[in-house]
Amino acid sequence: MNERTLSIGSTITLPKPELDLLMTDLHQRGYKTVGPVLRDESIVYSDLDEMRELPRGILTEQSPASYRLIQTNKERYFDFIPGSQSWKQFLFPPRETLFTGMKGETWHLEENDEPALHYALIGVRACELAAIHVQDKVFMRDDFTDPKYRSIRENLFILAVNCLHPNATCFCRSMGTGPKHSSDFDLCLTELEDTFLVQIGSDLGRSLLEGKRFDLASAFAQNQANEAMDQAAASIVRTLDTSDLAGLFTTALESNRWSEVAKRCLSCANCTQVCPTCFCWDVTDQMDLLGKSTRRERIWDSCFNPNYSYVVGGNTRPNIRSRYRQWLTHKLGTWSKQFGVQGCVGCGRCISWCPAGIDLTEEVAAIRAEVKE
Amino acid sequence: MTTTILDLPSQNSVNSKKLLFPAWAEIVQIIPEAEGVSTLHLRFIEPEVRERYRFEPGQFNMIYIPGYGEAAISLSSDIETSPGVLVHTIRHVGNVTRAAARLKMGDMVGVRGPFGTAWPLKSIEGMDVVIACGGIGLPPLRGVIYQIIRNRAKFGKVTLLYGARTPSDLMYPKEYETWKSANIEMSVTVDRGDDQWTGRVGVVPMWFYHFRVDSHNTAILTCGPEIMMRFVIYEALARRISPEHIFVSLERNMKCGQGACGHCQQGPYFICKDGPIFPFSALQGIFNVEEY
Amino acid sequence: MIPEEDIQSALQKVPWFKTLTQEHFNKMVTLSHLRHAKAGDIFFREGDKQDFVYIVLKGRVALDIFVPHHGKVRFYTAEPFDVFGWSSVTPGIYQRTAGAGAVLDSTVACIDAEGLRQFAETDHDFGYLLMRRLSNVVASRLMVTRLQLIDMFAGPVETKNE
Repeated sequence: MNERTLSIGSTITLPKPELDLLMTDLHQRGYKTVGPVLRDESIVYSDLDEMRELPRGILTEQSPASYRLIQTNKERYFDFIPGSQSWKQFLFPPRETLFTGMKGETWHLEENDEPALHYALIGVRACELAAIHVQDKVFMRDDFTDPKYRSIRENLFILAVNCLHPNATCFCRSMGTGPKHSSDFDLCLTELEDTFLVQIGSDLGRSLLEGKRFDLASAFAQNQANEAMDQAAASIVRTLDTSDLAGLFTTALESNRWSEVAKRCLSCANCTQVCPTCFCWDVTDQMDLLGKSTRRERIWDSCFNPNYSYVVGGNTRPNIRSRYRQWLTHKLGTWSKQFGVQGCVGCGRCISWCPAGIDLTEEVAAIRAEVKE
Repeated sequence: MTTTILDLPSQNSVNSKKLLFPAWAEIVQIIPEAEGVSTLHLRFIEPEVRERYRFEPGQFNMIYIPGYGEAAISLSSDIETSPGVLVHTIRHVGNVTRAAARLKMGDMVGVRGPFGTAWPLKSIEGMDVVIACGGIGLPPLRGVIYQIIRNRAKFGKVTLLYGARTPSDLMYPKEYETWKSANIEMSVTVDRGDDQWTGRVGVVPMWFYHFRVDSHNTAILTCGPEIMMRFVIYEALARRISPEHIFVSLERNMKCGQGACGHCQQGPYFICKDGPIFPFSALQGIFNVEEY
Repeated sequence: MIPEEDIQSALQKVPWFKTLTQEHFNKMVTLSHLRHAKAGDIFFREGDKQDFVYIVLKGRVALDIFVPHHGKVRFYTAEPFDVFGWSSVTPGIYQRTAGAGAVLDSTVACIDAEGLRQFAETDHDFGYLLMRRLSNVVASRLMVTRLQLIDMFAGPVETKNE
């Protein structure tokens, strides 16, 4: 089938092994492919060069404070739900040198102008793509654009995947972010028995199919995929009532619930690290012992960090109660006033990866109930 | 969608395409103020930067002490009487600001800025103005005092209330006569006075007990310890001054100065970008929430 | 001896007196006299018997307490229309708890405390107005004292973080 008959919006079926060829093509075009791999009984995002590195035959099971892998023996590559890591570590690295300085007669600073890598993200879920869109609004604005984020974002290739087995902690439906992809990907896969149903989202995606063995998607294949996706959507059990969250948190700032959750929360900052939209960062200036060279770095930070709000004279959020309140009221409330989009995409990571098993959907429900009284 | 309350003055700043990269400035004067406080006069090294740099009183720079880090310091310069010179009054209490105390004439510091919103003088023309500040809260208002003096006819009664712990903690005492002679009522109050002090003893907000204000036509500019500002606001609101006419300068931990790193947030605002100057009407429901 | 007309016109300028009935105001005039003080003049010292309650009309009067090793600490200054020495009107306190001295040349209205107390006792309408005014004075003084106590300009203290 001639790829010239393909266009953006076309759907084809691709035999699964062809995915390797797609990745090779991407390498040849200068992309660094990254995606999910098994490591330490979990799934992390790392260098991914071949299909066989994918978590083949793995399903996942999640609940508050729990993430488990289940081995099936199926020839399936994307049945799991992603682990603690998100794609933000590529667009917004946890640690980055901004400049280095040397002291001669005077200080001389040199910017870190290493060119940005061209990343190809393999296996992006709908909630994760929604999170990238949220971070786009944070890092690229009219009044401020992070040049490092932008240069990576402009050269990003997105191979999206529709989730077919959402876990118990997923609540993307409530947040309007999934489980099905809608747009802004280069290619989008829905995994069938032996093939991937592939939706073409961009010219780049279309051009990658050049010379590959594919067929135009049959009605049967399309139906199979639709049924699987409908089933997936129906299987999502967790919900978050999003009606007027911003208003709720304005009135509930002195709710008793904050003290209650503070008894359980360890302020460990796991939630902010695993959250794909959290964006806070710190600036560190380190000097060597001789005082002759210095380095400025940007590193991930968290509003749970006790020193996050330190000003001369004290800490404006000196306890866990105030910090947890800040995180939740920001994520679900004031964030949308700041950036025009909801801060949470419903991926559920913060629920699974909280060692205390705190579930923000439960916290919101409790606050709503208290406010009603 | 950002929540800018006041219009940002035109951005003729030294922000570059690089992330957090400072421009160099030389220290051309060091003036000791009260104990633990000194004023630095800075001048950009590059003529092009000197030419381009513009700011309005209320804004701040991120001052980089090489090797140590940055601190957000308000600009105290008067645009016209010290062109090309950045005046920064610094209290030496943290790691970075204590390193600043060890600097000498001719040393270089990095500057990023200006950032933040300015005191909205244009919007309060024609009104009586009460400037209520305390301690290290006077430096961010110094530029505005000179602007008012230059445009004195555009304002009604102008009163400057300034408080400090003791007489030796007062900032810029040598300039008070200049300000008073420009038809600005000045009332200085200390927490405790000694035998030599013939000024007021008490607290800044108590001024409101003795003087009538025109509720409909008075604007308040306040900057200082949050407690002082809170009580100034209480007294102003009790006298029916509109929250839209009460302007407050807030302070939070700042790292990037550009509304990107998240540290300075209070409620929906990034203090570095949506502030530090706010009309109190924008802060109701936020300012008085403890530990928010 | 200051003529009574001067006292009358002086007292008429005080905001609170404008709210009194003519009868009450006249009584206040008979209880008051003016004093012109020079900077440094003392009105009373700690421990003195309370004889007058004072209203500053012009200038500035400082209240102070003697603190061993610190000397006289000035903790408040009374501005025009401020009341000081008011504890002489409230029952239960029998001697001055602070000293008062002029820091600038000042004109002060001095009101006979005993006479005032007796008048308040016999005319309860007036007594209520007096106490109402005094409670405002005490409340505002309390606010000022609290803020001074908080020591808001003090240097940073290490706070304990959780």
